[in-house]
Amino acid sequence: MSDFVFATAQYESGDWDSAPLVPANIIDTIARYTSIDIAPSGVIVPLSSPSLFRYPLIYLTGHLPVHFGPSERTNLQRYAERGGLLFVDDHNHDIDGVFHKTATEELSRTFGVPKPLPKTHAIYKSFFVFEDGPPTTSHELNGWGDNLVHKTLSGVEREGRLVLLYSSKDYSSEWNYHPENKKFLSVDNTKFAVNLVVYALTR
Amino acid sequence: MRSRAERRQVAEWLLRGALLVVLGIALWRTFQRDSVSTITRSTKTSTFATDFAGIVTNPAVGAIDLKVDAMPSRTERDALVALRRIGVIVRWSDIPPAIAVEVERTREPEARARVLVTAATRTPIALVDSAGLIDSLRAGADASVEAVSVVGAVRAEQGRFAASAYAPVPDARRAVLVLGRADWETKFVMQALNEAGWSVRARIPTAPGIAVNDDGLLPLDTSRYDVVVALDSSSAELAPVIARFVAQGGGLIAAGAALEWEPLRRLAPARAGDRRPGRILLADDSVTTRDLPLRPLSLVRSDAVSLQREAPGVTLAARRAGLGRVIALGYDESWRWRMLGGASGMGAHRRWWSSTVGSVAPDRAAAALSIGDGAPLASLVFALGKPSSPSAVSSQGGARDPLPIALLIMAALCLLAETASRRFRGAR
Repeated sequence: MSDFVFATAQYESGDWDSAPLVPANIIDTIARYTSIDIAPSGVIVPLSSPSLFRYPLIYLTGHLPVHFGPSERTNLQRYAERGGLLFVDDHNHDIDGVFHKTATEELSRTFGVPKPLPKTHAIYKSFFVFEDGPPTTSHELNGWGDNLVHKTLSGVEREGRLVLLYSSKDYSSEWNYHPENKKFLSVDNTKFAVNLVVYALTR
Repeated sequence: MRSRAERRQVAEWLLRGALLVVLGIALWRTFQRDSVSTITRSTKTSTFATDFAGIVTNPAVGAIDLKVDAMPSRTERDALVALRRIGVIVRWSDIPPAIAVEVERTREPEARARVLVTAATRTPIALVDSAGLIDSLRAGADASVEAVSVVGAVRAEQGRFAASAYAPVPDARRAVLVLGRADWETKFVMQALNEAGWSVRARIPTAPGIAVNDDGLLPLDTSRYDVVVALDSSSAELAPVIARFVAQGGGLIAAGAALEWEPLRRLAPARAGDRRPGRILLADDSVTTRDLPLRPLSLVRSDAVSLQREAPGVTLAARRAGLGRVIALGYDESWRWRMLGGASGMGAHRRWWSSTVGSVAPDRAAAALSIGDGAPLASLVFALGKPSSPSAVSSQGGARDPLPIALLIMAALCLLAETASRRFRGAR
């Protein structure tokens, strides 16, 4: 029985490694709240590599324009077909930014157009219950980026399960800190990551 | 008042009279038989239906020589048996090819029709149903073909000879309960079964005291569930309930630590052995069951059957337990087959899991319709006896007329009684 391994997507364009502390923080959160067997460190997986299929949940972020090469696109399509889930987060938190515009275009070409998820979606109840939909980030409240609080995440579903989850909320900034610093927060702001991982493992 | 000797003489006269009557009847029967000369009629199974009326209405037909140039139908066989019962001798020759066919349903939501064919020779056989050709094969000892659906009777045809059978009506499958930890194996087993059409319910512990549950999982009984899939130690809490479910006729697939819990260990065909790593893959390699990490089964019980084996050992073993069936599984990372198995991996993983679950699911299909003719040669021999050559007419028994024997016995008894009576009273 293999442990769950948190994987970060490496793509040929853009700055795929813009949030290097997110994996360690999520791993810490999963170990803290759940009984899921999780590997102590994450991995980086090129989207064009067959290794992608070893990690059925993968996290992709960045600030810069995104362009998938043919092998990246083909791999991602097969990945979704076989049951993988790609979580994409806009590290700019800006719907006028280049990441959002290029990434949504690429993702629409690859998976189909993402649609807003209702607040009743299973991902908001898979472990912790988020009655109001996705938790707000401090970057949204501070008015950075597009100065908007995004009420929903969007996604593409196949046969009742998400194959793509897209966030404009900038969880990459919100979760990009050393896990040790969680003790300074009154409320753990990484709890939604538990929902993401539990959803991926049980749906 | 007559004396005893006089009564005896009266009885002797009566016996003489009876003897004369019997002899008279025998004489009359002899003349009757001679007046109607019996004939032997030759016919073929391909024309028997049209010849039948002529045979039945002609009292002179005392025997039939039947040449089997096509497989007689059930109705024709019944007609031949009826002829025998009214005293017509039926002989048949030219043994048709031995073909047998049976259709069963796979115990999966798709309920595919599995056609089982056996033939004595490797002459090609065409499998057809009412909609047309299904497949052709050389059966030899035996062969099976699966079809998503069949229409009407399935016929296994070898030239003009055919066996036919009907598929049983499929019954709706019950749910499958998947018990496993929150990991990729649990997720993809559920997904594969869902895709195959199974109704999947699950209990997946995610933290101490917390589980992702479908509502109303219990009670666990055969009216609600077909099979329980216990993938790891997370099934421990329900192990006694699962054992009862299997005893009632439910199916169980257990892997890894699930084979170690006491109530399940008593049912399991084997135990999970030490873990073996999977094959190290090169960049473009595709994963098959050979390459998966596994725990080869150990301590396989004597009443268990090994169903699948890889180089490190047995990976799938089954046995009956109570009214149910149990499979022990050596794989606990089959999801890699689906994700890394190339273009065919996903479908192969789905089919493998569906058929494995189906193999332990209770058989709920209604009995096959008995109007087919699955083994026509056997039925022909059962109805008419062994085949014979036409020259062996006189040696064949056929239906005998019991009257001559009865008359002979009665005449002998009358004669014996009359003679004995006379001798005992001293007369000649």
